[in-house]
Amino acid sequence: MSDEVDALVADRYIDALLAAADRHAVDAPSNAAVDPDVREAARILRASLVRVHPSFRFEERLAGRLADLALSQVRPALAAGGSLVELPPASASILDADPLVGAIIRGELDPTDADAVEAADRLPPTRRPLLVGGAITSAAISLVGVAYVAWRASRPSAQGRSSNRAMARAARAARARRVAAGVSTLVIAGASTAAAVTAGLGGPG
Amino acid sequence: MSRPVLGRGARTASASVVVLDRDRSLVEAARRDPARFDALYRKYLAQVYSFALYELGDHHAAEDATERVFLRALAALPRFREQARPDDGPEASTFRVWLFRIARNTVANERRARRRRPATSLEAALGAGLAVADPADLEADAVTRDEAGEAIRALRALPDDRRRALTLRFVDEMTTAEIAGVLGRSEGAVRVLIHRALGAVARELGRERGTRVGDHDGEAPPAHDAGTRDARS
Repeated sequence: MSDEVDALVADRYIDALLAAADRHAVDAPSNAAVDPDVREAARILRASLVRVHPSFRFEERLAGRLADLALSQVRPALAAGGSLVELPPASASILDADPLVGAIIRGELDPTDADAVEAADRLPPTRRPLLVGGAITSAAISLVGVAYVAWRASRPSAQGRSSNRAMARAARAARARRVAAGVSTLVIAGASTAAAVTAGLGGPG
Repeated sequence: MSRPVLGRGARTASASVVVLDRDRSLVEAARRDPARFDALYRKYLAQVYSFALYELGDHHAAEDATERVFLRALAALPRFREQARPDDGPEASTFRVWLFRIARNTVANERRARRRRPATSLEAALGAGLAVADPADLEADAVTRDEAGEAIRALRALPDDRRRALTLRFVDEMTTAEIAGVLGRSEGAVRVLIHRALGAVARELGRERGTRVGDHDGEAPPAHDAGTRDARS
């Protein structure tokens, strides 16, 4: 009980201390009921723990991101048909800055719930959803490219292998001709062809 | 945090006092038009950033955390419910308390993530040319550099809850009721928490001064003394 009373008295003292600072009072308030060491600690903390402002550059950058997020909140999310969703340009950078924002917007996560936020933060980052709006976008083109590369990688065709063999044969023939002609250095000038470079890789000897 | 005003009930025989969240108009404007959230952002930027800086001790980490806090707050604003009525007790949630709950969770996660990484010195971060938000804080000049360094070291040596409570009390100048709302404790518990934290800081400051006096009394010259204290921080 005494602890609570002491805490209450100290709390009143801190109130007075903060109010004195707001009034730009020179002297700190005095209260004999408060332990002098606690009073001194409070005075030093009040004077030492200054409030700081971030850089102007950071402030304006974040203001811009918040404006983008605000824009995305007022913009209708669903396009016709319900299958295609328009992605505002800034949303990708916002999701990069905080992957949980999407879940918060959808109402799946309460940012004031400590346990929920901690659990969500421990989850591996989800893939950013691909949202395609209007006609063909660069994202869609990239998707085609990725699919093509994956398809080619999964099919090391017989045609590819024969092509490699033909290239090897050409390289060996070129090297044999150089050796026969006594040419030890191959000089490639101007717009050399890939075949010439490949041939040169054989080198003398 | 909240200013009492006479509400409509004042016309009745038993005049009732309605506690009005001082940010109500700004919050309602931001709900109607999310672009108006900018006013709330500018108002609380320095407070949230300072809280993050004192908690994380790193300028860049504080910026990242601040960014997340405001993005999350804007994203969750449609679900913010003001509960600043007397009957709601110490858990009364005004916008500032709600915002700092988000800040507490965001910063706590950041601290967990950074546990394995060495944090830079908060003293260095504070001395890195950051602008002081409140000109009234210029009185901090009255405090010696040593005193400020000792205070910050003592603050950082505290357990999480005590450190947060002192930061919210002295840096953000929150009332005990507001801190109770942010930390999810009763007002009485917060008062005791702060009182014990102050006691711990007082002991730490006394110990630091004792050590410093000891250093001066010893054979080491004062020039080496400064280096010793820097290394200890």
